[in-house]
Amino acid sequence: MSGPVTILIGALGGDGGGVLCDWIVSAVQSQGLGVQATQIPGVAQRTGATTYYLEVMPRGAQASAVLALNPAIGEVDVALATELLEAGRMIFNGFITPDRTTLIASTHRVLAIGERMAMGDGSFDVGRLLRAVKERSKEQILFDMDQAAEESGGVINAVLLGALAGSGRLPIPDAAFEAAIRHAGKSIDTNLAAFAFGRGHARGELEQAVREHRKRQAAGQCVEDLLERARRTFPATSLDMVEEGARRLAAYQDRAYAALYLDRLDAVQALGSAELLRETARHLAVRMSFEDVIRVAQAKTSAERLVRVRGEVHAKEHEPLEITEHFKPGIEEIAAILPPGLARRLIAWAERPDRQGRARLGKVYFSMHVRTTTVWGFARLRFLASLRWWRPRTFRFVEEQAEIDRWLASIRAAAPLSTDLAREIAESARLIKGYGDTYKRGLHNYHRIADEVIAPALAGRMTPRAAADAVANARVAALADPEGESLSKTLMAIAASATLRHAAE
Amino acid sequence: MLDQPQLPVAQRTNPERSFTEEVRALRLGEGEVFRGEGILAVTKAILQAGVAYVGGYQGAPVSHLVDVLVESQDLLDELGVHLETCTNESSAAALLGASINYPIRGCVTWKSIVGTNIAADALSNLASPGVIGGALIVIGEDYGEGASVIQERAHAYALKSSLWLMDPRPSLPTIVRCTETAFELSEATNTPVMMELRIRACHVTGEFVAKDNKPPAISRNHRLANPAAHNYDRISHPPSTYAHEKIKVEVRQPAAERFIVEHGLNEFLPGESSDLGIIVQGGITNVLLRGLDRLELEGRIPTLVLNVTHPLVPDQIAEFCKGKRAVLIVEEGAPDYIEQAIHAILRKRDIDTKIYGKDVLPMAGEYTAEVMTEGLLKFFAQSANDIDLSKPRERFEAARAGRTEAQRLLGGPLPLRPPGFCVGCPERPVFSAIKLLEREVGKVHISSDIGCHSFATLAPFNLGNSILGFGMSLAAAGAVAPVLERRTISVMGDGGFWHNGLLSGVASAMFNRGDRVLVIMQNGYTSATGAQFIPNTAGNRRDGETTSDIAATLKAMGVKWLRTIRTYNVATMLGGLREAMNTSEKGLKVIVADGECQLARQRRIRPQIAAQLKRGERVVRTRYGVDDEVCTGDHSCIRLSGCPSLVVKPSPDPLRSDPVAHVNNGCVGCGLCGEVADAAVLCPSFYKADIVQNANWWDRLKWRVRSSVIGAMARGGVGA
Repeated sequence: MSGPVTILIGALGGDGGGVLCDWIVSAVQSQGLGVQATQIPGVAQRTGATTYYLEVMPRGAQASAVLALNPAIGEVDVALATELLEAGRMIFNGFITPDRTTLIASTHRVLAIGERMAMGDGSFDVGRLLRAVKERSKEQILFDMDQAAEESGGVINAVLLGALAGSGRLPIPDAAFEAAIRHAGKSIDTNLAAFAFGRGHARGELEQAVREHRKRQAAGQCVEDLLERARRTFPATSLDMVEEGARRLAAYQDRAYAALYLDRLDAVQALGSAELLRETARHLAVRMSFEDVIRVAQAKTSAERLVRVRGEVHAKEHEPLEITEHFKPGIEEIAAILPPGLARRLIAWAERPDRQGRARLGKVYFSMHVRTTTVWGFARLRFLASLRWWRPRTFRFVEEQAEIDRWLASIRAAAPLSTDLAREIAESARLIKGYGDTYKRGLHNYHRIADEVIAPALAGRMTPRAAADAVANARVAALADPEGESLSKTLMAIAASATLRHAAE
Repeated sequence: MLDQPQLPVAQRTNPERSFTEEVRALRLGEGEVFRGEGILAVTKAILQAGVAYVGGYQGAPVSHLVDVLVESQDLLDELGVHLETCTNESSAAALLGASINYPIRGCVTWKSIVGTNIAADALSNLASPGVIGGALIVIGEDYGEGASVIQERAHAYALKSSLWLMDPRPSLPTIVRCTETAFELSEATNTPVMMELRIRACHVTGEFVAKDNKPPAISRNHRLANPAAHNYDRISHPPSTYAHEKIKVEVRQPAAERFIVEHGLNEFLPGESSDLGIIVQGGITNVLLRGLDRLELEGRIPTLVLNVTHPLVPDQIAEFCKGKRAVLIVEEGAPDYIEQAIHAILRKRDIDTKIYGKDVLPMAGEYTAEVMTEGLLKFFAQSANDIDLSKPRERFEAARAGRTEAQRLLGGPLPLRPPGFCVGCPERPVFSAIKLLEREVGKVHISSDIGCHSFATLAPFNLGNSILGFGMSLAAAGAVAPVLERRTISVMGDGGFWHNGLLSGVASAMFNRGDRVLVIMQNGYTSATGAQFIPNTAGNRRDGETTSDIAATLKAMGVKWLRTIRTYNVATMLGGLREAMNTSEKGLKVIVADGECQLARQRRIRPQIAAQLKRGERVVRTRYGVDDEVCTGDHSCIRLSGCPSLVVKPSPDPLRSDPVAHVNNGCVGCGLCGEVADAAVLCPSFYKADIVQNANWWDRLKWRVRSSVIGAMARGGVGA
């Protein structure tokens, strides 16, 4: 007697794994075959991951055969996963094996909380997942089922059921699966449509246009001559970055500002490393287009933005839409757009304790809910956006340019010692981003690294190679936790090893 | 903040979960085939056995028993079955007191070990006088993968209180037979019977041939004219208790042993290797049998399946072991009660069969397929070197080596997916506020509790110092508060409040003048167990009236500092917490954090909204979004909220590599992300979008005028 067909399903809470399980059971029973399913729901279903396990008896098997309730390593015939990491998890746990398992999985990722809460990019390496999926299973049916569900108007569990039917791994005709969907009686039409999509993909009858993630190019106008200059000056390997930077800065400020960008890059080009040039070009453009209220107002009132929001919130063509923005500027944001002298006085005042003995800075904010779909709300933001002519006279602008110059100077100083070190310094600019506390924290972290690692390195107190590693490590540590504990530890370790080396000499 | 109308707590009604199919299955008659899950089969079996009353407290994996019966009121009315949705397990256990004096059958259910702990006092007092009507306790043994409670065995209670414990093999016919027979066993021995079902057994699908439901002879449809005559023997009070103790061991246990043998409750599976044997708990028989298949020993090892694990029948055990070289005891969890008992039985009879058990199988942890296989391999290696297991062993080792290779390929552990709050959960904003509070006042000792809010102990909040049981968070801070400079915060759900927290926590804190802060999550249901009613919601299922209000209850108990705050308003919540932490007023300070369970709310309003849209009525749909050009990818918002619909996507900016925040289509428009961005001064990326569906002429006119003016301004002015 041949044993049962074993099926393991990995799903996320809300994917409808339980319903999928019920459909399979119902379809199998309709064929007069023995089947047993079980699951471990409970709290795991609340946003967590969970598994379902089924055993299907082959035709002619005795009905009283004992079926197992637990999957066993190396004994799974068909594995279904509603998400790629969950497929990876079943592989990690040894259930999916290259000698036996047909893996039917969606290739899309739903990031886990640990991946999402990282201060930068915390997502698990998809390349590793895909490699494991291909090497550690016998056959694969892989496509983006989330996209297929959306395209069919249905839910992912029905797509997966369709893919299972399409795989031909169970002795169940399509009609039995469809009958199971009808019998369950909920959202029959959309589920049948999703089922057909899944089956079509599994049989290779449908092609999936991989949804590309498109980057948006800045719409810089009247910069053709600057772009021409860039093409003449810079190597092709960094041109995409340089051109994007020039266009962005022209839109952000003006032609002259874009020209300043190219001037600054000329000095980096002279250092002779194409890779360094590319990275610096990228970060320099981001740093020069720093986020002040003028830029936010520019972004929120751009012509394309409303179209984008409508698409994102799935507003239909004829449906009126009201957008409310959440702003909460504080004293610093106001100071940022004042002339430097006035701004410094305002900040000094705000730092003095008030009558209750508390500083106003970081305490006093103005909460504003602006409706950008009203004429008045839009006009106010439009006015702010129009202040860009004033920007070069603002406190923030002056401060940022000084910061940028210091950063570029350290890159230039590092390049002769080691291109790696210079590139790591350039890369450290990614710490400086965001608004309010996030911005202050990032800048503060960057300063700590500049003072405690970059400066000693440039002064020759570390070997260039050790210095490049130290900067990279410190940068990773700065992104590890918002409290800066990892950074403190890393900086201490770097200081200790530098002292050791010093002592050893 | 959530500005759609919210129901006052008293009007939060059943979230319309549908058990139509299940209810139909309960009506099946003689000869019809029942198909469904294990726990539903138990529910059908108790009706077939003629129960007169049913009660219980919800908890995975047995919630469905009571939930389905709540929806089957018509059937219960016809049969005359009384149903009590108890406020805790203690009250459910006490319900069985009806069977002490009256020959009526009753069944109660709860999650174990926690529920059995709560019920223990009533169970002792029930077991002592014993019952004349069959009394069955169905316990969900929440053990192993997917379990949410401390890992202990209910077996201990059976031993200490002399209750009989069934652990049926997880096949529906066996489960049903055990359920029905349990009542007979209970009556034949005057002893309540516990039946434990593990998680997978409760959810296992299968079929059995049904019988007609049996209306009880004495019931709410057929009442007795007079109460039972006074009989001091039935009261658990001295001197009766001294007599009860003797009766338990001298009369009831021998009667139970006879019954088990006469009714063949334990199963003997023959095998040709007569010098070996395995004794297994019924509940894990399938894992064992599949394990034997894996070793190609199918049908070769004689096996005794204990569908009743207490009492053991000494003669049966001795008979099985006699003449065998070695017997393996397969008993999941610690301590090894059965193994010890079998050792004693054999020792007393001078049977020298070698007993294996926890020496080849692990003392702690679930007996998964892999654990079982490894244990069996060890057992046969040590006891039967004449059985050649080299091939199966090779296969098993190869599977393990394959896993090691897979793990190497994946390069280290995969990101975990701990459970968290649902999209739009009203409890999440409270923890966002506590995180912001800690930025101001420093770290606070958080005493956590059982319920969805215990997810705050996980990422991204990581808030919570201890969990001491359901409704215990306030009591658990009793001796912490006096030794800390800052006040402690205890978090409790409204489910926990009514279950235990009111007396164990609030009354005790008031009595002892405890200077502490208590946050009660008033979401209106015991949400973690499947949104069952509680006393402060829409009352019990019959009259729809509120029975008890939390704030009124607290006032009546003398709580002076009491605030009810809508949870979604983070700034107000933060203000309330700040005041509670800093006020010079001593004593207990309670914040009732009010916000309806979003899961329940969505279940209720989704069909309503769909109907409105169908009728062409104007509906405003609210959701939130992030401007991907404004977000710089720091993800503070995610660290302060963790909403599943707040995800990340690649940055659209060709110059940036960090992914940006994104609100996906799961958003229900609770507004927390906007509130947090505001309260924590994060960034201007968030926007709220109100989409008017079935717009009226005024909406459309406004929209047209605004669009044309705004469009002109956008095109005309400076480019962005």
